Amino acid sequence: MRGLAGYEIPLDGADLRTASALLLGCAALRAAAPGELGVPCPLRELTGIPCPFCGMTTSVTATVELDPVEAVAANPGGPLLVLLALAILLGPARRLVVRSGLVYFALAALWLWELNRFSIL
Amino acid sequence: MSEQDPQVPAQEPPATGAPPPPAAQPAWTPQGPSGPRAGFGRRLVAALVDGLVLTVGFLVLFGIGAAISEGLGLFMVFVAIAGALAYYIVLEGGPTGQTLGKRALNIRVVDQNTGGPIGYGRGAIRLVARYLSQIPCYLGYLWMLWDKEKQTWHDKLSTSVVVPVEYYPVTR
Repeated sequence: MRGLAGYEIPLDGADLRTASALLLGCAALRAAAPGELGVPCPLRELTGIPCPFCGMTTSVTATVELDPVEAVAANPGGPLLVLLALAILLGPARRLVVRSGLVYFALAALWLWELNRFSIL
Repeated sequence: MSEQDPQVPAQEPPATGAPPPPAAQPAWTPQGPSGPRAGFGRRLVAALVDGLVLTVGFLVLFGIGAAISEGLGLFMVFVAIAGALAYYIVLEGGPTGQTLGKRALNIRVVDQNTGGPIGYGRGAIRLVARYLSQIPCYLGYLWMLWDKEKQTWHDKLSTSVVVPVEYYPVTR
């Protein structure tokens, strides 16, 4: 089972707080700005194949705008990331540890979701 | 995700050919990377500074060229692109391993195994690998958030790490 679970990764608290603030700040800016700002996915632009993070901008913005249905439809990782970012920013600043297997499983699951959403699978 | 005991036992970091961190600042832990690493925030701001420098350089070159003639303006676009490529290869592959952004943020690129400069060849590999890091919605950049050695994909492909200058001082 250790093989599947992978090794323990101690996550840097400062890195997580920076990334969380960046995520929520950009989502709030995008929600407030006119139009639909966003960075197109280079992989999808080049090949037509989505990556695991495709739809994440829409999903995170929809979560901030309290539209969970659109958020999950675009990318189910968005609401989870927003909740995680809030917990990191508002919770006690402690060192966190994650299993590498969990990271790779999450990336694989998100990719399958996006491949299905774009009718590749 | 689980919480880890913040009380880690004192232990010397493995020798990686670079000066060890000062004992008073616990930047290294047995479970973490094999040496001190530049954090996500510093690397992000350094990248933004580099982006700003290159954008201003591009606009100045293109503006001067286009003001003289359309053909010279187009030529200046190619000069600016070549300059941007050389900027990363020469500065990150050079003895300091620092672009202007990295110098401003006091971080540098070093060889993962020796702690020394990566050289211009691997600087070029690092540059090409940057584009691979960008392709899946910048996943290759975010990789450092959970990577054991805090490496992006272009760090891994060029066998380099980005470190704080206070732990890996530039020697001339």
